[in-house]
Amino acid sequence: MPEQTEGNATTGTRRAMRLGVAGPVGTGKSTLIATLCRELADELSMAVVTNDIYTDEDARLLRAAGVLPIERIHAVETGACPHTAIRDDVTPNLLAVEDLEAEFAPLDLVVVESGGDNLTATFSPALADAQIFCLDVAGGGDVARKGGPGIERADLLVVNKTDLAPHVGVDAEQMVTDAKASRGGLPVLALSQHDEVSIKALAGWVHQVLADYRSGTHVPRDPGPMAPHSHADGTTHTHEGGEDGHEHA
Amino acid sequence: MSTGLGTLLLADARLPVGGHTYSAGLEPALLDGLPVERIPAYIEARMRTVGLAEAAASVLAYRAVGGAFVPGRIEAGPEGLGVDADALADVHEALLARSPSAPLREISGLLGRGLVRLADRLWPEHPAVKALRTLGRAPQRPIALGVVAAVMGSEEAEVARVSLYDDAQTVASAALKLAPVDPVDAAGWVLGAEGVISSVVAEALAVEGIDDLPARTAPQIEGWSLEHQVKTRRIFVA
Ligand SMILES: Nc1nc2c(ncn2[C@@H]2O[C@H](COP(=O)(O)OP(=O)(O)OP(=O)(O)O)[C@@H](O)[C@H]2O)c(=O)[nH]1
Ligand SMILES: [Mg+2]
Ligand SMILES: [Zn+2]
Ligand SMILES: [Zn+2]
Repeated sequence: MPEQTEGNATTGTRRAMRLGVAGPVGTGKSTLIATLCRELADELSMAVVTNDIYTDEDARLLRAAGVLPIERIHAVETGACPHTAIRDDVTPNLLAVEDLEAEFAPLDLVVVESGGDNLTATFSPALADAQIFCLDVAGGGDVARKGGPGIERADLLVVNKTDLAPHVGVDAEQMVTDAKASRGGLPVLALSQHDEVSIKALAGWVHQVLADYRSGTHVPRDPGPMAPHSHADGTTHTHEGGEDGHEHA
Repeated sequence: MSTGLGTLLLADARLPVGGHTYSAGLEPALLDGLPVERIPAYIEARMRTVGLAEAAASVLAYRAVGGAFVPGRIEAGPEGLGVDADALADVHEALLARSPSAPLREISGLLGRGLVRLADRLWPEHPAVKALRTLGRAPQRPIALGVVAAVMGSEEAEVARVSLYDDAQTVASAALKLAPVDPVDAAGWVLGAEGVISSVVAEALAVEGIDDLPARTAPQIEGWSLEHQVKTRRIFVA
């Protein structure tokens, strides 16, 4: 049983759910977000915050995709510190989210794209209620096995661009199997823009998390730096929320 | 009595108020050809112009919320001992009138919001924080800085010094991201500004009200800020 925190009960279901999308450069985060907008924007009121490292490429890609009105896409500068902006000091991102929430109230979902960073950058629960970590097959088949906080403990791990697998000599299925092995039951999704079924599965996952968030059963988890550990009773778990309270039975 | 911790926090880039997105104008300056060797001169130019105006405004904001009268008193009475929201609003207006660049006002407002967010979370009921909130959601950073410093019990001179130090350190640490600079040299630049910072602190403390609030600006820096705002390739917001 996950450790239940007061989290959503107090923040309530009024404010939009904040979904972070992190992962290394070029793994398809912006494309994934554009896809989500295309799939969900009819039913959900959405907005996006991008964290470009050097250009406004991400925001431009999304605006050009025409999947959301451009004023619902805000770009945030990160001072060459994309990891800081989603973890140590989330202020600029929170301000951007709050601006969008104020401007387009009521929003259902705000997606925050992290500037492509290394394998250890994950969202603080202070910014993201849930997060997707995005890898791609082109990054090599062994990345999933190497692990890291995002790969092991993000709410969803996406193995992206599976259509490219044959071209880059990677066994996508094996990559998914490796990823699942390191995630203790957390979901892994093999995704490709050319695979309609996988896109529907992605949209379905977001719908499910949003429903859980609204009903107060989704607990924001911190994939953070803390390694999962075992207890004498044989259970393995992580401590969501950072502090190691160790109150669980 | 103040422990001085509050001032240290305000001077610490690790304080989560969004400072890492800001280069204090250095990015557009370097893009326009400012040589790296001139960065210390750039720091000094800022101290003597925008630095003075901002430090003095911070001090006036600090005084407007009773900072000078109740040092260290986070528990200032519910009636708001020494807190004058109107005076605070006047200082804010006066500073806005001395900040001709729209993008720089906007960035200052963003940094101010970071401080408001911090204050709202840590001291939601403090009369000085309530007065700060009457300035809207994005008060200029120096005003928010003065208020937060007052709440944390900083001394008056520390408010001015931390305002200037933060500006100098922002330039120096942004330089590490923008140019091939040895971090030790960058630390040396900040220390090298000690003389000018001390004299500007004295000038800021001598300011008595908005009528003699300095209106010194740096047109080149403002021009750069306008160019930077429309760039599509940049690391820092300003
Ligand atoms: N073949 C294939 N290419 C894809 C897929 N998804 C994205 N791409 C391509 O991968 C490249 C990078 O995609 P982006 O969405 O910009 O990746 P990103 O992670 O947002 O990149 P950064 O923001 O720069 O880190 C683009 O050329 C996309 O068209 C996919 O499913 N299959
Ligand atoms: Mg992108
Ligand atoms: Zn960094
Ligand atoms: Zn435990």
